[in-house]
Amino acid sequence: MSILLLQESSAGYGRAVAPPFADQVNPTEPLVIVVNRSNPINDLSFEELRRIFLGTRSHWPNGRRITLVMREPGEPERKTVLHDICAMNEDQFKTHFVHGLFTGEILVSPKILASPMGVRKFIFNVPGAIGYLRVGDLDDSVKVVRIDELLPDDKGYKLRMQVQLAN
Amino acid sequence: MPFVDRLLTAASRHNAVLLLFVVCCGVTIIGALVIRDMQHANTEAQKMYKSSVNGLQEIGELQYDAQETRRTTLYALTTTDSNLQVEYADQTRDADRRVRNGIAEYGRQAKGPEELAIADRLSRDWTAYLGVRDEVLASILEGSTSEAVSLDLAGGVPAFERVRQDLNEVKRLYGEVASREQASLAESSRRSSSRMVGILSFTFLLSAAAIWAIQRSQMLGRMHLANLQMEFVASVSHELRTPLAVIRSAADNIADGLVKNMDGLFRYGAILQHQSRSMGELVDQILLFASTEDRNKRVSLRPLAVEQIVETVLADTEGLVRDAGFTLDLDIEPGLPPALGDLPGITQCLRNLIGNAVKYGGADRRILLRAGASITKGNLPGELRISITDRGIGIDSSEIVHIFDPFYRSPRVHASQIHGTGLGLALAKRIAESMGGSLTVISQISAGSTFTLHLQIAQGDDIHIAASEGRQSKMSLT
Repeated sequence: MSILLLQESSAGYGRAVAPPFADQVNPTEPLVIVVNRSNPINDLSFEELRRIFLGTRSHWPNGRRITLVMREPGEPERKTVLHDICAMNEDQFKTHFVHGLFTGEILVSPKILASPMGVRKFIFNVPGAIGYLRVGDLDDSVKVVRIDELLPDDKGYKLRMQVQLAN
Repeated sequence: MPFVDRLLTAASRHNAVLLLFVVCCGVTIIGALVIRDMQHANTEAQKMYKSSVNGLQEIGELQYDAQETRRTTLYALTTTDSNLQVEYADQTRDADRRVRNGIAEYGRQAKGPEELAIADRLSRDWTAYLGVRDEVLASILEGSTSEAVSLDLAGGVPAFERVRQDLNEVKRLYGEVASREQASLAESSRRSSSRMVGILSFTFLLSAAAIWAIQRSQMLGRMHLANLQMEFVASVSHELRTPLAVIRSAADNIADGLVKNMDGLFRYGAILQHQSRSMGELVDQILLFASTEDRNKRVSLRPLAVEQIVETVLADTEGLVRDAGFTLDLDIEPGLPPALGDLPGITQCLRNLIGNAVKYGGADRRILLRAGASITKGNLPGELRISITDRGIGIDSSEIVHIFDPFYRSPRVHASQIHGTGLGLALAKRIAESMGGSLTVISQISAGSTFTLHLQIAQGDDIHIAASEGRQSKMSLT
């Protein structure tokens, strides 16, 4: 028997109704990229985003060091980011960072936070931090960045996560 | 002292309770003053506690929260776990918020320019420290520990030291204010104690004076009563001794055989008869007065025709008036209603009044007995009035309030060697009141006096039983 496993959303994103059958096509929920409110960046291209999440871009245009914030392995948001942005699975991602840190191509490894609240607070406290949240986890303490000039509400927004149904 | 004694005698006459009432009022007012003083001292103590002790506690909390802000920031250095570091960041921001609220509250409560300047400096220094703290915190969260330490050493430590000095300055000012308020409270407490001692002393003196006044007034009252009784005994003795001397002299003359014929014997017999009757009347009057001491005693009342009253009184006093060489004139209104009273009592009352008229009637030697009535007006019931008027020496205005007191005798009467017991008018008044009536007097010195007996008008043939307390006798002077 399938059970709906969706986080509640105050903005209405990601809200889903329990499907009558387990093999029904799952709905999608936008995943937003967030930065510190003091960060002057408002817009990123998908390619820039990819470089940031792979650690190959280490600084913002204002000189601030970029600190990447990730959820713990296994979280659906992380899976979506790895799949859609990095085009890697978990092992490939880890290997990529171990290699990068060893060779010096990557300066800092991602910070791992256990909850959306932790992500928000980390980004709030660190001016150069960047991370991702579900729309329902957003609040005023962080700033949403456009991806290819598109916001989550806009048609064609690429970063969407599959709503996972648990058995 | 005589003035005080007169005052105390008057107080004793009305009631010593009056003095106690005055003392109670005084003590109540003084007690209220003491309570107000204590409440004032208590309010000042509370104010001092609130402004000083609470203030010191608040500044202590402010110091702790400032240290907590710095401490939790540095705690984040001790771990590489980002989740834990975020928790420390939360804690430092909470402590920082409390400090900012505390500084704002201090600024609001600042009174003098010195406190306002310190509040402003503290706010600026704290904001400067927070700027460094945010950089340090960001470096720690980014994982740049060495950078965080460098930032803290270069900016955080001196900025926090300035904040610490500001807080010490605030504490010093609080201490100074607390010392001033403590001195003020001590002064207020000393003042309250002095007032309390003064008030208690005053209360003690007032109470002592009141007790002295009450005791003295009672003593004067007892002395006055004793004097009256002694005068009464002397008067009675004198009144008895005179007829007794005459009787003994007459008896001696008869026993010694000095009375040789029947005419002489008749004359001596008449003397004995008259003197013994005088003695008997005196004794009767004393006994009657003693019997009226019981104010609860009830008197049987019945309707009495005015003519019957007048005839009885005339028959009773005919010898007295005639022997004194007086003329008793009558002025009786026709058609008077019957009076409600006790005939022996009315007769006794009027006999006393006629006896006084004879004693003090002067050279004119005329007495007027007048009887009249007044009709009912509104709430005032009708009454029957029987008055005795003489044209004698009259009564002085200063004495008229005393003439109905038992045993009272005027100094002028004493000086004129007019004998009496001082019971006649007191007895007449009591008899009148025992019948539900009253006795009033109108008098003018050297012109004469009019005593009026006021009686109720009988409304039927029934016999009424009236309480002995009658209407208050009224006195006036023209």
